[in-house]
Amino acid sequence: MIDPVFALDLIKILLVLIVLSAALIITRRDFIALTSLYAAQSFLIVLLSVGLFAIDRNPLLLIIAAITLLSKVVIIPFILTKVQRRLKMKREIEFSHLSPIGAILLAVVAFFFIYALFSGILSGLDKGVLSTVVSLAICLVFMGLIIIFTRKQTITNVIGYLTMENGVLLFSLFVAELSLLIEVLILLDLIMLIVLVALMAFGIDSSIEEFHSQLNVLDRWLGREQR
Amino acid sequence: MIFLLLFLVGAAVLALVLLSRSHRVMNVLSLAHATAYVGIVAYALARLPLPLHADGSDYLFLDHLGAYEILVASVVFFLAALYLEGYIESLIRAEELPKRNLRLFYVAMNLLLIATAFSFASDNLAVFWIFLELTTLFSAVLVVTLNAKENIDVALKYIFIASTSMLFSFIGIILLFFLSAQATGTGTLEWSALMLHAATFSPALLLVSFLFILIGFAAKSGIAPFHTWLPHTHAKAPSAVSVVLSGAVVNMGIYGILRVFAIVHQTSALTAASWFLIGFGIFSVAVASLSMLRQRNTKRIIAFSSIEHMGVILVGIGIATRTSVFWSLAYVLAHSLAKSLLFFSAGIINRQYESNEAEDVRDIFRLQPLASLGLIVGSLTIVGMPPFLLFLPKLFIIIELGKVSLLLFFLLMLFLLIAVVAFGAFMMRLFSAVPEAGKQERIPRFPVPAKMSLTLAILITLVLALGLWFPSYVQHVIDAIVTELRF
Repeated sequence: MIDPVFALDLIKILLVLIVLSAALIITRRDFIALTSLYAAQSFLIVLLSVGLFAIDRNPLLLIIAAITLLSKVVIIPFILTKVQRRLKMKREIEFSHLSPIGAILLAVVAFFFIYALFSGILSGLDKGVLSTVVSLAICLVFMGLIIIFTRKQTITNVIGYLTMENGVLLFSLFVAELSLLIEVLILLDLIMLIVLVALMAFGIDSSIEEFHSQLNVLDRWLGREQR
Repeated sequence: MIFLLLFLVGAAVLALVLLSRSHRVMNVLSLAHATAYVGIVAYALARLPLPLHADGSDYLFLDHLGAYEILVASVVFFLAALYLEGYIESLIRAEELPKRNLRLFYVAMNLLLIATAFSFASDNLAVFWIFLELTTLFSAVLVVTLNAKENIDVALKYIFIASTSMLFSFIGIILLFFLSAQATGTGTLEWSALMLHAATFSPALLLVSFLFILIGFAAKSGIAPFHTWLPHTHAKAPSAVSVVLSGAVVNMGIYGILRVFAIVHQTSALTAASWFLIGFGIFSVAVASLSMLRQRNTKRIIAFSSIEHMGVILVGIGIATRTSVFWSLAYVLAHSLAKSLLFFSAGIINRQYESNEAEDVRDIFRLQPLASLGLIVGSLTIVGMPPFLLFLPKLFIIIELGKVSLLLFFLLMLFLLIAVVAFGAFMMRLFSAVPEAGKQERIPRFPVPAKMSLTLAILITLVLALGLWFPSYVQHVIDAIVTELRF
């Protein structure tokens, strides 16, 4: 078993790496690299859940680690890679509103602002390190939002949304673990959203007929597509 | 039993829609779906002791507020289904909707009704959040069924704005769970339990949680500054979908805000939260009314008016008196019916001229007299003219705001007046356009199917009759809601 003190140090390193992965996502243009970075970020969250389990001994953390591994390290990157192969455009051509350096500077400012806000509110509560962790998690959410605002391509916006969602997961891991059923439902909802948005990204890149053909997945399953 | 019935009816309708090949059958099934929901919930309101908890599940319950919202939404879906067959056939004939998308359209429509009903029946904030997310997905599918590539952009914008805002809501929900865990030892997201323990929550953290939650739910309702998706989505969607979006789906965000605000209402964070709601509400009315002045598109101006009205409802909730909350809830019903009438009428105008632009409309009274009447009655209702349905709710919310602050009262009145002028000027422009000399015979009349006309006739009657006589049954239900929410 992992020693709790070692686990705490590991968690701190993992938190830094997770924020670093978001910073790398902000700077990269290549779709495949962005998806790999997202998968790596999700894997870091899996390791973090295992680290937290070593301290808390809450089996729910291990289950969350397992479903995160399956959905965010395997299934969602697989869907995104499949869509990216079919898209004509392979990389982000230009950034809107902010350059990557400006976006990272904004993320740093956001972190200090969030830290100041939450350290004040959480100071009365018993968890001393909570405000730093909460600030990092919400900072990750804001970094995802910055990615959405500074990119024009749908597929990069999806990566931004997924980074935000990882920030929320990180936040919930430290603040409060919801029930397993709710965690699973949220992931199913996330996968449905990604599939739909991925289809639409394909739709923008192709003709409306091809898009509607893809969209009518039910009819294809039932083997009776109407014309 | 009620929940199982709602689920089984929904599942059976979905299965039969999937198996069906005929448009008429899919339409009748959707009509039956909405009718069954209206019947089930009306029965629950009239005969069953509410709140009612689902057997063996902590996630579902039905109280007066949930039942009232399901009833309003189901009535809107019923009217949309009644209107839909003739409207969709016309879209198919004009090749604006591919026939291959018909089944997908009806599946998404019925899934949207199920998700809407179950969101209002959720006794758990996280489950409510999940259903809210699902309604975004199903609505987006309905928008992209049309043969227009720009609809994909519009749907993507809707998904990204609604879903990213909803992630902020989820942070607020986790904070609320954390607060309940601090207060009770085991965290909960059940509405009833949160109401029970609210007084023991840390007011500062509860306010932060409320503000995070407000971002997502406000985006879902089109409250400014999170409204930018709404005018595009409501304007580009097929009219029957616009009706469902602005008559039922936008109510979900307001419903969530009211529920969470009722929790905050038990604590000292109330004053700050109230000012936030009133501020966002007036800001929404201001943004919408000023934007309405520039509109040249029938569906866009009606869409902007939704933002205005969601703002007024938010102000009513923010005032937080028994009277203001009562009339905010009556406003929800009035707005849903009036907005349905406007969008249905706009749908017929769209089929007549194959355009939503005011400049393309000519000789509207002669070509579409019922839709013209629908637009006039709908406009008079939506601007709050007596004796129509929206008059009293709007009047009482404004009076209650006057008791809070005269400055805000005058500010709200000013922006509402701008909205009236914008709406009035637009309608005058629409109705005063006459055909050029000698061209009168060249515009063929769109033959309005009987069920589309019937939908309009029902709504015109409802907004006038309910304005003259607000049933005591509905008053009792709204009274019970206000008491349950402890205002």
